[in-house]
Amino acid sequence: MERFGIPVRIVGDFDFYEYGKGVWATRATTIPSVKIETLGIRALRISGSLKPTTAFLRIVGKYASKNVVYLNKSSGLSFLKGSVIQGVCGDMRGYVVVRTENDILGCGMCKEGSLISQIPKKYRPDSSWI
Amino acid sequence: MKIEAYKDIIPDFEEFRRIMATPQPYWMRVNTLKISEKDLIARLENKGFRFERYRDWNAYMIVESPVKHPGATFEHSLGYYYIQDFASMIPPIVLKPRKGERILDMAAAPGSKTTQIAAMVDDSATIVANDIRDDRIRALAGNVERVGATSVIITRGDARAKRFGMTFDRILLDAPCTGEGVVRKTPRKREPDLREHIKFSKMQMRMVENAYRHLKDGGVMVYSTCTYNPLENEHVVQYAVDEVGFVPLQIDIDIPYERGVREWRERSFEGIWDKVIRVYPHRINTGGMFIALLKK
Ligand SMILES: C[S@@+](CC[C@H](N)C(=O)[O-])C[C@H]1O[C@@H](n2cnc3c(N)ncnc32)[C@H](O)[C@@H]1O
Repeated sequence: MERFGIPVRIVGDFDFYEYGKGVWATRATTIPSVKIETLGIRALRISGSLKPTTAFLRIVGKYASKNVVYLNKSSGLSFLKGSVIQGVCGDMRGYVVVRTENDILGCGMCKEGSLISQIPKKYRPDSSWI
Repeated sequence: MKIEAYKDIIPDFEEFRRIMATPQPYWMRVNTLKISEKDLIARLENKGFRFERYRDWNAYMIVESPVKHPGATFEHSLGYYYIQDFASMIPPIVLKPRKGERILDMAAAPGSKTTQIAAMVDDSATIVANDIRDDRIRALAGNVERVGATSVIITRGDARAKRFGMTFDRILLDAPCTGEGVVRKTPRKREPDLREHIKFSKMQMRMVENAYRHLKDGGVMVYSTCTYNPLENEHVVQYAVDEVGFVPLQIDIDIPYERGVREWRERSFEGIWDKVIRVYPHRINTGGMFIALLKK
């Protein structure tokens, strides 16, 4: 979260646990001593490197001050649909928080100047949405 | 049972029957973990939605929707609101969860009430949400993630027997039931018969016993169902009081409701019928709900 300049007072509200292929963020204070299915919300995926999840960025991303890409409404929609957006990354590289003026859209990746959408399928809009 | 079987216990039965034949409107709740009510309502009204708010509550009847299903919006995908019947919002309100508490939702999927509880405590509690079915747990996990409720821990198990390894300040048992109160939303081919009511009733009693085991002394449980048959409602609560050791509490809530059923087919529910409440569809155009508040 340092990468995004999210203040410690925000991140400090959560406890982070590594299990399975992820790091989970929770505000629960007692963890039951039985097998659990989920523990709060997955904040990072571990697959070689650490990748922030869209779901967690949608919670804390509004506090990000670094590595943030602002999109207008129409490129925001293309981003959600999974398109590559050109000309918005500047000199940023790696994972970024992608947002519009009002909404945190989720996780993107800046690579060679292109913004590549990391929005999981379940959050991609259907053509019937308004 | 056929809905006619409840003629003597449901007041204004003709009006009840009339409303049951009409489609049930959608209700929704703003997810205050992510956005303020004012901002979201303005955004959705801009898109062509029209709402009727219940008093000053975070409960909005959708009277006009520009899309067929009111969840087909970006705002919904961003987790800014939750489509949930008004009647289904009542059990968490009666439960009154507080910040910092340990709360168990024993039959939680798909998570309408779990996510409502998380919003009520501002995501600052320990909320264990349990269900038995894998597919429904996936839906629950999806909703928890969408609304951003990090205080929720999901477990899978049989609410009749599962040991959670801890005790709780509050428990919600929104029990599996024959669902007579949701037929306006999900029509079905035939009514449940007596055998099914009895089968569910027995299952509910086992769940009540397990809830008692997991409640700390002085803790409270809300028992709710979305069905009308007293065998799954007053009868289960009577058992909870007479056989399990719960104490029934008066419910203090400002909505139109009916008291419980006093007698049903030679069973009498003295001592609890005037504490439990029934929410009927023909009062403010909702589904049906039964709610009891019990203390250990
Ligand atoms: C009335 S629904 C719960 C609705 C949920 N509380 C909500 O507000 O979204 C009942 C749930 O009980 C679950 N269930 C059925 N039998 C169960 C059992 N033995 N143990 C735990 N859950 C069970 C079902 O899978 C179903 O999701």
